[in-house]
Amino acid sequence: MDFYAVIAYPAVLIVSGALVVVGLAVLISGRGHRLLKAVVTAAWIATAVHLITVVVALLSGNDAGVVLTLGYLLASVALLPLLGIGRLGEPPAPGETVDPDRPVLRPDQIMRLDAIAAIIIGIAIAVVAWRVAVIMGAA
Amino acid sequence: MSDERRVVNPVARISLIAVYAVLCLAATGRSVYQISTKFSEAPLPYAISAVSAVLYGVIALALWRGWRRTAVIGSAVELAGVLLVGTLGYVESSWWPDETVWTGFGSAYGWVPLVLPILALVALLRARRVEADAR
Repeated sequence: MDFYAVIAYPAVLIVSGALVVVGLAVLISGRGHRLLKAVVTAAWIATAVHLITVVVALLSGNDAGVVLTLGYLLASVALLPLLGIGRLGEPPAPGETVDPDRPVLRPDQIMRLDAIAAIIIGIAIAVVAWRVAVIMGAA
Repeated sequence: MSDERRVVNPVARISLIAVYAVLCLAATGRSVYQISTKFSEAPLPYAISAVSAVLYGVIALALWRGWRRTAVIGSAVELAGVLLVGTLGYVESSWWPDETVWTGFGSAYGWVPLVLPILALVALLRARRVEADAR
């Protein structure tokens, strides 16, 4: 529980903040896509650590509502694939079957899309982590 | 790719899909929990949360598949729902023993449920106007 309260929960909040800040910076400046991808990787890691830590805390006797907590944890995992959603707009590889519903975007459009997704998901992950912390009695 | 799909700005379209997917997830989680644990306490608010979850999912799918008419109707219904539920929450507060996704015009969700259908309608109707001008 200490590791959750001192490390895992703050780490998710910090990474969420970084997603929002870097996403805004990329959106405004049109640069820094590689940095944004690094922050997205950090978000996956922080969310995984958060999930494992909360599950361990629940198994070790925390009296938080299990259904609600697991629901929020599942939500945080379900949000992650939306990070880097710009990849949906990448041109199809040679020989790949083309989906007519999939738009093909320019690199700058993909970068803007990733930035917008990072801002949205950063806020959503922070809210979910905060809700879990409230349920766990750590916030 | 059809003209209908091409005239909607792709960045706006995928951004809207992402936000609708997040809202669908949030509303689904909320309504499943409320309906499965305490539906009898506030059937109307919890049913409305479930309806909003379905609506968000349908709009996200419609935007992705290029079903513009469905997306326009869904967004209009969503906007009407937010305005109606938000207003009734203040006018007839006794009808609402608990909150819905649309209570307080979506204030618990940062008013995203109010702003989002407006943005979606602007993007979709602008695309239709561009298409009409091109003919």
